[in-house]
Amino acid sequence: MKILVTVKRVEDWESKIKVRPDQSWIITEGVNYRANPFDEIGVEEALRLRDANAPSEVVVVSIGPAAAGAEIRSGLAMGADRGILVKHDGFLDSDAVARILVKIVEKEKPDLVVMGKQAVDVDDNVCGQLLAEYLGYGQVTFASKKESLESPEEKGKKAGLKLSADKKSLQCAREVDGGLEVLEVSLPAIVTVDLRLNVPRYASLPNIMKAKKKTIEELLPAALGVDIAPKVKVVKVEPPPLRTAGIKVPDVAALVKKLHEEAKVV
Amino acid sequence: MPNQLLSDRDVEFLLYEVAHADKLCELPQFADHSRETFELFLTSARKLARGVLWPAYKPMDEAPPRLEAGQVLVHPVMREIWPRLAELGITCATRPYAVGGQQLPHTVGMLASGYLMAANAAAFGYAGLTAGAAHLIEAFGDERLKRDVMPRLYSGEWAGTMALTEPQAGSSLADVRTRARPAGDHYLLDGNKVFISGGDQDVTANVVHLVLARIEGAPAGIKGVSLFCVPKRRLEGSDNDCTAAGVFHKMGWKGLPSIALNFGERGDCRGWLVGQPHQGISYMFQMMNEARLMVGMNAVATASAAYHEAVEYARTRLQGRALSQRDPSSPQVPIIEHADVRRMLLRQKAIVEGGLCLLVTTARYADLGDTRSLLLLDLLTPIAKSFPAEFGFESNTLSLQVHGGYGYTSEYLPEAWLRDQKLNSLHEGTTGIHGMDLLGRKVVQQNGAALLGLSEEIAIDVAKAGGSEGAALQQAVERVGTLTMALAASGDRDKFMLHSADYLTLFSIVVIAWQWLRMTNAAAGKQGDFHDGKRQAARYWFATELPRVEHLAALCESGEASYAEMRPDWF
Repeated sequence: MKILVTVKRVEDWESKIKVRPDQSWIITEGVNYRANPFDEIGVEEALRLRDANAPSEVVVVSIGPAAAGAEIRSGLAMGADRGILVKHDGFLDSDAVARILVKIVEKEKPDLVVMGKQAVDVDDNVCGQLLAEYLGYGQVTFASKKESLESPEEKGKKAGLKLSADKKSLQCAREVDGGLEVLEVSLPAIVTVDLRLNVPRYASLPNIMKAKKKTIEELLPAALGVDIAPKVKVVKVEPPPLRTAGIKVPDVAALVKKLHEEAKVV
Repeated sequence: MPNQLLSDRDVEFLLYEVAHADKLCELPQFADHSRETFELFLTSARKLARGVLWPAYKPMDEAPPRLEAGQVLVHPVMREIWPRLAELGITCATRPYAVGGQQLPHTVGMLASGYLMAANAAAFGYAGLTAGAAHLIEAFGDERLKRDVMPRLYSGEWAGTMALTEPQAGSSLADVRTRARPAGDHYLLDGNKVFISGGDQDVTANVVHLVLARIEGAPAGIKGVSLFCVPKRRLEGSDNDCTAAGVFHKMGWKGLPSIALNFGERGDCRGWLVGQPHQGISYMFQMMNEARLMVGMNAVATASAAYHEAVEYARTRLQGRALSQRDPSSPQVPIIEHADVRRMLLRQKAIVEGGLCLLVTTARYADLGDTRSLLLLDLLTPIAKSFPAEFGFESNTLSLQVHGGYGYTSEYLPEAWLRDQKLNSLHEGTTGIHGMDLLGRKVVQQNGAALLGLSEEIAIDVAKAGGSEGAALQQAVERVGTLTMALAASGDRDKFMLHSADYLTLFSIVVIAWQWLRMTNAAAGKQGDFHDGKRQAARYWFATELPRVEHLAALCESGEASYAEMRPDWF
């Protein structure tokens, strides 16, 4: 089977993020970048599916500046087979990303597309859904699994997504309020993954060296025939409000009164 | 903010702005590498360090190994950590392709190890020892050992140890008594070893000891000691008569067992000779540089973790007010606002980052590998080992001090790192041994060729720097030169070595000043907090430490003999 996985280059959450004085975006100087952690879970799941269903192939796709090649290389070093980088500098809205991915899917014809449920930079959580809609594919969002991350299944690196015997459908658990819902989706399909699906491997040194020999194909949105003019405009970026000092209340009654009258939470 | 253990920015700065590690890839042995492979590997090491080793640090410190029914049981989390350490490929990262390694430059491998050590020195210790044992077999073992034992060590299937020390033979390995009697294709060993780190555990299927012992009839002293490979279990799986006799209760590194081992209690402990008879000590010494640099890295890492903890604590702990603030109802300030706290933090920064730069500088010489670089490596190794161990201990006490009374409690981590750090001035040669090694051998051998080489290296950076700091360093280097010549010319060996400890200290101060000059050279013309911080720490070292060189040099030269003439009965 062929599995396409998307990996986005995002700001490292451990970097100190500051907003530009004109509030148009964040200051990018001095910020570290890394692969979106949900996407790393996606790569891990794709690798497990591949290894349990040989012969299979995992293709890592990223859309972004030339530097995003590092995130693809990181996926290849985890064990993916080859990469595709759609080069673009500057802002892209989720819709443009989904429409670029449509073209990649048409070109590659994967049986399955695995994506992070959202990217931790802008937290939109729409790209996978848009892609499924444009392709007319089934989709499962927030893919998770019944077994815990401490379970023997996880330690044995078993895939949480289960391919049917005829390889025509995939069984997936997804996180919903208060529990898990198990769905079966026919392939080809889009699956977006949640945090508790697996613990991604890190790239071992032997695999890092092997990844050097793997290819990354570079494409341009224009060559794919995609109009990437944004439909979504960033109006303003603001830092979260600074935490103000707390107050002390004399007793529980005063606390409840304040929660009721001022905070309006009880 | 979580403790970053080692600063990613500093690692990047040292690798690419100071040491130009990417240029190493021009050497044929590193041609397959690039900045990209370095970064991917460092990223993996960071993730493993911060995500897996670090959360296990306190649990392992709190529940040390125990001996039950002849088997040492270590903290169960080690069984989760070990396969991941092995998978990363850290044990043979820098080894040649031919033995399953990836020919990673030491400069990068050292820093990757640094993250793991800072996160959990004891957990990394298992890997470090295994790598050391495998490397000995790789360098000196016969084809059989290379086929049957080495790959199992490099892959992490088995773990290794270095079984050198005996109750009467610690620093003085010439006094080793463990015996080896020829018995066909192997030897039968008989003796006791102590302080064997990782000497037994329940993590790997087998433990392979590299043991120093005397073949029957061997000459006395250092020239009669041979090296043996002695597995806990033989290849076919049967017990090999190596018994864990006890677990030492240690001050630090509590996650890594230190064992008393008995070989041959039943007369059936088989060992296989590694290399030639009577060459054991020389084989060990050929591995020593690497092991000593690893100790130096460990000491920097242990001080680094504590330093970052102290900086974060000082930024968030509110206590007291500015001296000029008389209003008792005004809010308290973070303690980092107090100049004395910044003094303690800046001293830690100068020691930690100066030490880290020295390790990178030294590892780079190992990577360059030409005669001159190896001479410099040899000269700098005692400094790279003992400076981080001795000054790092001070740095660790300062981290604790910044935490005030809380630092004295085990609720906070600085006391644990302080305990861990103490080992580094003891193992792989005590500080006293390194003082004697530096003055008695390293600076005088080949008519001072290494020292001359070092002054040339420093002169290049001084020329680049110019200015008063460059001039001060140049003067200090010249002082070391004249002092060394004066000491060597005295002709009296006892007098020559009398102040070897002070000589080691002053030499270290000069070498670290050189590191700070290298860093300010690399930061020249660059703006921002990171580079400003570098300049400030350099300023601190040049203003407060470098002037001590003259005082210590005068002491060495004077023949001051207070402790030399102190009589045992006067204590």
